[in-house]
Amino acid sequence: MKIQNLDDLDKVRNRGLNKIFTGKPKISVGLATCGIASGADKTYDALKNYIKDNELDVYLTKTGCIGFCRQEPIMNISLPDRPILIFAKVSEQDVNSILEKVLNERISDEKLLCKIEQWDHITSKTTYGCEFENLPSYSDIPFFKHQKKVVMRNCGLINPEDIEEYIAIGGYYPLYRAIKNMTPEEIIETVKKSWLRGRGGAGFPTGVKWEIAAKMRSQTKYIICNADEGDPGAYMNRNEMESDPHMLIEGMLIGAYAIGAQEGVIYVRTEYPMAIQRLDIAIKQAKEYGMLGDSIFGTDFNFKITVAKGAGAFVCGEETALISSVEGQAGRPRPRPPFPAEKGLWGMPTVINNVETWCNIPAIITHGGEWFAQIGREKNTGTKVFSLVGKIKNVGLIEVPLGTSLSKIVYEIGEGGIDGKKIKALQIGGPSGGCVPKKLFNTAVDYEKIRETGSIMGSGGIVVMDEDSCMIDTAKFFINFTSEESCGKCAPCREGLSRLYELIEKITDGKATEKDILLIEELGETIQKTSLCGLGQTAPNPVLTTFKYFRDELDAHIKEKRCPAKICKGLITYKVLTDKCKGCTLCVQFCPTGAITGTKGQPYEINSEICIRCGSCIDVCKFDAISVA
Amino acid sequence: MKDGVVIKINEKEFKATEYQTVLTVAKNEGIDIPTFCYFEGIDPYGACRLCMVKVIKGPYRPGITTSCTLKVKEGLEVLTDTEEIRKYRKILLQLYLVMASDSELVKNLAFKYGVTSSPFSKKFDIKDSLGNKCILCGMCVRVCDALGVGAINYIGRGVYTKINTPYLEPSQDCLGCGACAKICPTGAIKFEDITKKRIMTSWIKTEIPFKECSLCGKDFVTEPLFNFVSKKMQIEVDEELKNLCSDCKRKLFSRKAIISTSL
Amino acid sequence: MDAIERIISRYPEASGKILGVLEDIQKENGYLPKEALLYVSKKLNIPFSQLYSIATFYSFFEIQPIGKHLITVCQGTACHVRGCMRIFNGLLKLLEIKQEQIAYTGKLSITTSDRMFTLNTARCFGACSMAPVIRIDGDVYGNNSVQRLPIILKKYGWIINENTES
Repeated sequence: MKIQNLDDLDKVRNRGLNKIFTGKPKISVGLATCGIASGADKTYDALKNYIKDNELDVYLTKTGCIGFCRQEPIMNISLPDRPILIFAKVSEQDVNSILEKVLNERISDEKLLCKIEQWDHITSKTTYGCEFENLPSYSDIPFFKHQKKVVMRNCGLINPEDIEEYIAIGGYYPLYRAIKNMTPEEIIETVKKSWLRGRGGAGFPTGVKWEIAAKMRSQTKYIICNADEGDPGAYMNRNEMESDPHMLIEGMLIGAYAIGAQEGVIYVRTEYPMAIQRLDIAIKQAKEYGMLGDSIFGTDFNFKITVAKGAGAFVCGEETALISSVEGQAGRPRPRPPFPAEKGLWGMPTVINNVETWCNIPAIITHGGEWFAQIGREKNTGTKVFSLVGKIKNVGLIEVPLGTSLSKIVYEIGEGGIDGKKIKALQIGGPSGGCVPKKLFNTAVDYEKIRETGSIMGSGGIVVMDEDSCMIDTAKFFINFTSEESCGKCAPCREGLSRLYELIEKITDGKATEKDILLIEELGETIQKTSLCGLGQTAPNPVLTTFKYFRDELDAHIKEKRCPAKICKGLITYKVLTDKCKGCTLCVQFCPTGAITGTKGQPYEINSEICIRCGSCIDVCKFDAISVA
Repeated sequence: MKDGVVIKINEKEFKATEYQTVLTVAKNEGIDIPTFCYFEGIDPYGACRLCMVKVIKGPYRPGITTSCTLKVKEGLEVLTDTEEIRKYRKILLQLYLVMASDSELVKNLAFKYGVTSSPFSKKFDIKDSLGNKCILCGMCVRVCDALGVGAINYIGRGVYTKINTPYLEPSQDCLGCGACAKICPTGAIKFEDITKKRIMTSWIKTEIPFKECSLCGKDFVTEPLFNFVSKKMQIEVDEELKNLCSDCKRKLFSRKAIISTSL
Repeated sequence: MDAIERIISRYPEASGKILGVLEDIQKENGYLPKEALLYVSKKLNIPFSQLYSIATFYSFFEIQPIGKHLITVCQGTACHVRGCMRIFNGLLKLLEIKQEQIAYTGKLSITTSDRMFTLNTARCFGACSMAPVIRIDGDVYGNNSVQRLPIILKKYGWIINENTES
């Protein structure tokens, strides 16, 4: 049914509320990519079977990812008038025993993570119920306690494939308010007052960008959602699209109305098939319900969204390369000026914003610019979603107010390192960012403060490294990445990054000198200053920050020809400990180069000339008989 | 019609029209700014990064940027030869020396700026059909595209980028016009004219047949180019003159003109 | 060629049309056949060289036919830190692909001689919590170890070579 007015919207809302409060036990399984990769789809099937076999009157549905990825598969059970119960690491084998107990109101600790009594969806508040006083609350869990959910307000709680649930928790009401009760200028003022800055990494004030595009006199204007999220280790946007696609669509609708655009393009990387699928479903539903298409809410505002797929090129996250890609060319950046707000897609004024930037808009329209500006700190307002991965206990997606310190994120939300290892540094901003050593963990996640350390906040990927990581090896990894992803148009990035990689390889092979270090620094600076686009301009950051903060590790590599973390293959040798080796031949079978020789039953020997230090032998040896020197 | 703007390059004032860039003004006034990928007839590309200048005042953000894309605006002030620019230019030329090790153009330009050797070296030498002379300025691709043909294009990405025909097979689309070879600044693109055909040596020896002059029999244009231009031209060309080489055409045309004026 | 017409009709908008069409063609054929590119070039009036340029620019496209099963090893940051190279080398060994076969053309895509498997790499599927990750024909496998690989490969018809004992 096409929603034409507030009455229609309210009717759909009521329908949706019946799916949130079903009057019977409701079970939802987190079915985003991470969840499914952990076996959540099998858990879902097991639930379906259990419900069928026992002929139970239970409502089974799917939901998105609440962000606690280490605890996947996650299952929510909602009994009528009771708090939602969140269960973690629920495999298909656990289903029977959990359901048996819970459906009879016997809540055991088995797999239970916490309860949610009420929830702030920002566009509305929901109360589920009290009870179960002895069970831990959502706000008791360290991982969740320090977060503030604005962008991820609905993730893991509503069904991303049902527009009615989105409307039930207050979705599309901000859109109604925007296009019926506000002028485009008022909307832009609100966004300006909020001080929302681009969440893709550059941090350009969103309201200002919109204002420039709104002022351009053109019949045709476009808005683009940059969903190319190429930073390895960052998957915030993917979750935002998989768990709450309507939030993105609504944000784009409000933005298009404010700027005067009739068409929007969401550019998603092809490596996110589920996100593309969920977006397609959401767009189809939005069209059916009249949120997309002609005469939205009975006004003369028309808007359509096209999903354009990427094809495996990190550089297409750069806005002019993205435009080239959408136009059907290779993703090579174009010189700026002219900026896309003046001359962008198909030569028309275009506003490009990251997924997360668009997702903040409905919340800002609901509570106003001042409300948003109160979160965080001056000029760094609102929240940011970060992916917290690497050598840290609590791996997942977190959302914190800007200005939160890195140490809070690492030690309180992440709960520190794994296997008792000491954390050494973290990498922020992906391949465009840099490393932040532990001594600077008191730095706040603030665009300017992070830049002062030599990194950038980027799209929000945080990779934690401990004493077993080699900082030089990590820098080498990032240069390898950026040099392979370089589009090849401009010489400093194309030639410079390859030469830079080769020089760093000299370090990890133990063949570098002080002179090489100076050359690396000079080359790095040249690439930063003369590259055509952001990829080249930021690619040397990991190397330069590593040299700045980990001079001791660098000196060990060049002066002592030693890798303290025992990672750099050119500086380590694998040896068989003859007193431990039983000659079981397991390592020989897995050695990819045939470097291990010997007779069965006798201790084996590794030929260091052939050995490539891949570590397979260490992995498979049951006797800890291989040492690294 | 705007009168023009006044900008400052290296502290000296210059008048410019609003459509110019700092590079075109500099070239007109004889100020030295090196370029590889700039050609007057085609839109600036911004790939070689040699034409960097430093913006010190004006409506742009201060800092260094390419002069080929820097449109002139009233009050703009730039410097072309700061220590910073010289430092970066040196590294860039050292990178080019390794990339196009057989190119005289690169060696000469590097020498001009005091760069005679390079501290860099390539780890893998990838076979290049354009013989280590290609600097990937992209002018051949752009001119072929601008002509509306698009027979050659970039292949691959990053440092593995090459320019050639699709699948590295002789081209079905090439007109044999030779614009690519003409515009190539390093002479990396080669072709060879033999009787009856032009062989585009660099483009996998694509063979393009010549068209003979109907009067003197000389090969005067490639068939595909002739057909291409004939299709594009809106005006009707005299049938008699159409299939003649330029010499014969001139002789016949003048004879015709003399006859018609004497009538 | 009807299949291509059908694919083209799925993309009525100009934005994102070419990449969308090429991706769908690859989905049906496993790679981008030359004839398909020639047809698209004529139909959409795009220079053939531009399509080939696009096909070789983007990592996703394969211009050679691939094996029956496609194994992709993730080489993202989290996977690197958790040893994806070990998994990659382990797969090389199990699929009997020699190190020398890896050509330095910027794109890694090797098919076994019996055309059963094609091995390539990708730069992050976003399943970082389960690093190191591999994907076979769309199924994502996380928390991999070298020992687990033969078990996973067997599901896709991989047979142990007699020389390697289990």
